Amino acid sequence: MNQWITMLPICVPVLAALLSIGIRSFEKDTFRKGYVTATLSVTLLLMLLAAVCGGRVEYTIIDGLTFVFRPDGIGRFFGLLSAGMWLLAGIYSFQYMHHEERCINFYRYYMITIGAICGIALSGSYLSLYLTFEAMSFASFPMVMNSRTKQSVNAAMKYLFYSVAGSALGLVGFFFLSVYTTTTEFVAGGSLDLSAVAGSETKLLVVLLLVIIGFGTKAGMFPMHAWLPTAHPAAPSPASAVMSGIITKAGILAIIRVVFFVAGADAIRGTWLQKVWMILALITVFMGSMLAYKENILKKRLAYSSVSQLSYVMLGLSTLTAAGFTGAVLHMAAHAVIKDLLFMCAGCIIMKTSCTRVDELRGIGKRMPGTMICFTIASLGLVGIPPTAGFVSKWYLAQGALESGCGVLGIVGPAVLLVSALLTAGYLLTVSVSAFLPGADFDRTRVVKCEAPVSMLWPMALLALAVFAIGMAAAPLIDFASAVAQTIL
Amino acid sequence: MKGQIILLLLTCIPMLAAFACLLLSRIGDRARDYFAQALVLIWLAVIAVLFAGALGGAEYSFTLSSFCGMPLNLRFGGFRALYTLVTAVMWGGTTILSREYLHHYNDKHRYYFFWLLTYGATLGVFMSADLFTTFIFFEIMSLASYVLVVHDEKPEAMKNGGTYLAVGVTGGMVMLMGLFLLWHELGTLDMAGLLGALEQASDSRMIWAASLCLLFGFGAKAGMFPLHFWLPKTHPVAPAPASALLSGILTKCGIFGILVTTVYIMEGSESWGVMILVLGAITMFLGAFLALFGIDLKRILACSSLSQIGFILTGTGMISLLGEENALAVRGTILHMVNHSMFKLILFMIAGVVYMNLHKLNLNEIRGFGRGKWMLRICFLMGMLGIAGIPGWSGYISKTLLHEAIVEFAHVEHAAASLKQLVAVIEWVFLISGGFTLGYMLKLYVCLFHEKNVKDQAKMAASDHSYMNRASAAAIAVPAVLVPVLGLLPHQTMDRLAALGSDFLRGAHLEHTIHYFSLTNLKGSAISIAIGLFTYFVIIRGGLMAKEGEARVYVDRWPAWLDVENLLYRPVMMTILPFIGALASRICDKITDTILYILKMTAFKEASHKRYYTLFGYMRKPTHEEAIHQELMESFSFGLLMFALGLGAVLIYLLLI
Repeated sequence: MNQWITMLPICVPVLAALLSIGIRSFEKDTFRKGYVTATLSVTLLLMLLAAVCGGRVEYTIIDGLTFVFRPDGIGRFFGLLSAGMWLLAGIYSFQYMHHEERCINFYRYYMITIGAICGIALSGSYLSLYLTFEAMSFASFPMVMNSRTKQSVNAAMKYLFYSVAGSALGLVGFFFLSVYTTTTEFVAGGSLDLSAVAGSETKLLVVLLLVIIGFGTKAGMFPMHAWLPTAHPAAPSPASAVMSGIITKAGILAIIRVVFFVAGADAIRGTWLQKVWMILALITVFMGSMLAYKENILKKRLAYSSVSQLSYVMLGLSTLTAAGFTGAVLHMAAHAVIKDLLFMCAGCIIMKTSCTRVDELRGIGKRMPGTMICFTIASLGLVGIPPTAGFVSKWYLAQGALESGCGVLGIVGPAVLLVSALLTAGYLLTVSVSAFLPGADFDRTRVVKCEAPVSMLWPMALLALAVFAIGMAAAPLIDFASAVAQTIL
Repeated sequence: MKGQIILLLLTCIPMLAAFACLLLSRIGDRARDYFAQALVLIWLAVIAVLFAGALGGAEYSFTLSSFCGMPLNLRFGGFRALYTLVTAVMWGGTTILSREYLHHYNDKHRYYFFWLLTYGATLGVFMSADLFTTFIFFEIMSLASYVLVVHDEKPEAMKNGGTYLAVGVTGGMVMLMGLFLLWHELGTLDMAGLLGALEQASDSRMIWAASLCLLFGFGAKAGMFPLHFWLPKTHPVAPAPASALLSGILTKCGIFGILVTTVYIMEGSESWGVMILVLGAITMFLGAFLALFGIDLKRILACSSLSQIGFILTGTGMISLLGEENALAVRGTILHMVNHSMFKLILFMIAGVVYMNLHKLNLNEIRGFGRGKWMLRICFLMGMLGIAGIPGWSGYISKTLLHEAIVEFAHVEHAAASLKQLVAVIEWVFLISGGFTLGYMLKLYVCLFHEKNVKDQAKMAASDHSYMNRASAAAIAVPAVLVPVLGLLPHQTMDRLAALGSDFLRGAHLEHTIHYFSLTNLKGSAISIAIGLFTYFVIIRGGLMAKEGEARVYVDRWPAWLDVENLLYRPVMMTILPFIGALASRICDKITDTILYILKMTAFKEASHKRYYTLFGYMRKPTHEEAIHQELMESFSFGLLMFALGLGAVLIYLLLI
């Protein structure tokens, strides 16, 4: 019985999406709203159920090729986070998608994608991870080209190309790693077969680097980040929100699986691979923030910001320390919430005012106060102003870097994080400032209020509260992450 | 959660009340204003009661086991009690003035919201018992006060407010770096535990690096040279009650941090002491020097703040250098902090009264405003005589202590001769800066209360009986009365305050009572006063005023281009560094796409359809065979065939090896 519970959050949304093809009333607005909301809520509940009492599902094709699905610490965390965000973004999207065409199919892909993501969260072997990962890429790319303009189709193709190339590297890694490991299942601490590794350590490290770059593609890590700033602005805002907040994190989860559950941290600690990984992460952190600072299109700015922020998480993982890992988990949660919120705000602005550029946003705080307050709270969180979520994660990330024993890199790491935080303040707080403080010469009499509808605002308000809540009451999450770190380091 | 929860409530309730203010704004302005005033006055009473307890030696502490992932530690007693009280007094006075001052402003709900938010955060800074807690409240204070600075949203305010925000955020980040290093190195940020942890610390370079980062962060807020540039520009553009807070109390948050760093982390380091001393002396002189040139009331007061911060930093440097014999320096530093808060409260509120009547701050335009206003004149005099260190007013006491501490260094046995020479030079810088203080304050006094307005004195006199309401008058008068009381009864009042705070700064026990009004001490003051009179009559009246028509007017002789912000910080931070960073980032950003593009154009170029033409046969239709050939080549079966061939080749190869 418990076995089936594990499969439910994966299968139910996918089946619901397929079923909706046969239901004619799915084309009606109200029915679709109810249908999608119900599916997403049920998915969240099932994910919760699976996290609590899910069993182990195993299916072996031939010896060595085993599909395993089972909940474990980090998987539960990611699954619940994703399903929760999906539901909130889904509720937000109903109003938004009114002004987009083709929203019927959008929701079908939307539901399939969350199924695939639950699969990623629950997968317990390399093969099931790879499969669900590819499924997620393919299910999510039609959402990018929802508007079917030339630009968005190109963006979607770029996204698909990068994703496939990235997972191909992951697959290459699978082939090699299956030689060096005792099992393809995920084992906390890794399952390296030391006798097989002996003599070919360098080859192992090169393969691991390829895998990190491969799955890092999804997480927007340099050098394979270029799809992110192209795809996010092209997608409709709810899709950008979950892509930035959740789908990119799937890449990070995959890397966690490969590094900590297949190869094991000990194989990497102190090698050139750790340094290279760290350097790549640091380059990305700086590059993303700098380009976001220079970017004028709001959603593209947010996309570059995601590039930077995701590599905060990468940096935390690359330190291979408990503190770094804790910071990475915290930042996954913080960034998921914050970036979802920011893209939702951007969506409200685009929907209500058709402004896409930052310099058009002067005085927008007077027109859409609720939206912009949410935006400001999220900005503070992303900069890492206490007591928001971003501050706590930054603290642990920096401690992890300092403890990593990587010499100069250990000090450069926190410094780059802080420079990036400064740039973040430069590209986000300036928006809030000009939104709320347009200057004395701004004509207040001609301000027309155009606040986003309540059905969009309340999911945003919930996330805004979460930005503070995660920061102020971080203790449970920290304890959880430290406990996970204990088992895998 | 353990300890007295009242400490947490002290900081939290004003922050929660900030939200209540937002709601009350919907009911009406009066409700909100009175609510804010009531809250601030009640808080003043509560803190006064707690302070009375602390005077009797009581200590309160509170720990929240986890906030932002670390314990939140608050403590009340000693120095913290003293400065919490000063904060409450400052907010009490300025909140009362705010109601009248802001009468014609927009967006008052926003102002009060951030006003109370800043209040709670500032109380938190001064009650914090570990640096992590300090940082949390410091950041909230820093950001919330930004909105106060730019309240009127004029271009000037937006520009300088932007600088304030940038300095605040940068300072915060650098400070955070210091905390990272410190926590990593020591494993504790608890102020009481720092010294113990330092004994086990292995890497002194890391401790230095951490301390420098902290100094940068706190120094930026305090207005320490070379991070002082924002201060003289920001304070004048803020509404006057906010300027009073910025000058009087928010800069002290920075000083608080520098003191903690000096006393608890860099304890016993001579080079640290010298560094603080020199930076302090430069700030002290520079501020006073800039103030002489100013022709804007609030700018002069802001520069004066800079200079007084320099005095306090000089005292901090002496605390560090004097080591075991630091009693005088500790007491001087504490008392000068309190004094400066009080003086700037009075003076900026008076500036606020001037501005709310005239909407001008230029000395030539506000000239003669106070001629018939006795109340204002007396209050200003108290502030002026206090800040200039005239015997009988409280500034004299703290300055004497600081001066004594400097002089004392000459008698320290183990100090190097070169260091003694340096301190001897700094003594003179100290006296000259003190003289300048009198000089620029005289300039303000004479301008406001003595000279007649050239254009329209009648207009100035028109408001002689209606220039402020009773509440505002009381808010200014109460601190003004305190100044001479403290100054005349130093042993009963100021000594006790100093003794209360001295433990926090690890001050040595004072062996004998100080005879403040002894001849040697009066001599130092006399030198400063002489320099001050000379400054005013020769330099200011001689060099900084010019004849225009029949009247002599104040002119700004400071070269406009000589501005470290525009010369150095802005170009570097806004242009050069972003350019380099963006260039490098763009290269990284485009590298993959470029490689892909090149590959697409070369190796993976789509095979162009074979054109069936000969040299003379453009656009010829393909023949039947050619068309079949083309169709075949593009067909799926053909692709499959090629794939099968390749697979076969691989299999044969595998069989062979």
